[in-house]
Amino acid sequence: MTSSAAFRRFVFAYATAFAVLYAIALKGDLALFTVYPSLRIVLLGTQHSRDVAAPSMAFLAPAMYWYGWTATAALGALLCGFVAALVPARWTWRVWDGWVWLLPIAAMAACVYLTMPWFRM
Amino acid sequence: MPTFVLILHGLIAVALLGAITHQTLATFAPAHARPGSFFGRFRGVSAGAFTDGIVVLYVVSALLGAIVYLSFRTDIRPFLERAGYWSSLGLFDIKEHFSSIGLGLLPAYWVCWRRSRVAGDAGRARAILTATLAFIVWWNFLIGHILNNTRGFGG
Repeated sequence: MTSSAAFRRFVFAYATAFAVLYAIALKGDLALFTVYPSLRIVLLGTQHSRDVAAPSMAFLAPAMYWYGWTATAALGALLCGFVAALVPARWTWRVWDGWVWLLPIAAMAACVYLTMPWFRM
Repeated sequence: MPTFVLILHGLIAVALLGAITHQTLATFAPAHARPGSFFGRFRGVSAGAFTDGIVVLYVVSALLGAIVYLSFRTDIRPFLERAGYWSSLGLFDIKEHFSSIGLGLLPAYWVCWRRSRVAGDAGRARAILTATLAFIVWWNFLIGHILNNTRGFGG
């Protein structure tokens, strides 16, 4: 299976797209779902506490977006992977292998940049 | 229960740390290292043999982390926010982002190591993916410990 060119294209596209889409999901606040651990509920999409209660009361129902961002990235990456696996090999053979590590490292740097506000508080 | 999961998460992280460090050093060690030397011994093992174990340990560690994260968000983080540990929370956010990106990298990393002969760009991709995962594992391990010891760490 691992020697299959289509499978290789799938995993390389998946890994690259996952990292990029995760950074985009983080920047755009695009969580597939929001988890409220204290209420034990999961709501579809990105839900902010201010949508349902006063911001000062947000601590009563802390929201978690990490699961949703990861799910968004995984779903998008799956689609990219399937597309990469289905396209003719001649369309992709010139694609540089290095994108599979370069873009994830760039996405990691983007995530660090997007987290910087924590360090200015 | 959260304490048990956290300890298990930490123990699996130790095993993962050992495996990924060994594989990374074996990958980057000089190819013609002296046989009896430290790097020579690292070269003596098959770096690829760690791959399946690393994938399993990473996934299990991430799953346990995802479970214990629920308790962290409700029981620990409000305390850290009230006490103004903003830098610690920022470091933890970076940990969660890196953890997800590492999960996404695992399939490509696995495929790279399953191929017996790699050279050129493919070989470089394998080495850099391994080093990236090693960086993520080390970062997450250290930040996890710092967070776990926040009340004692730095006063």
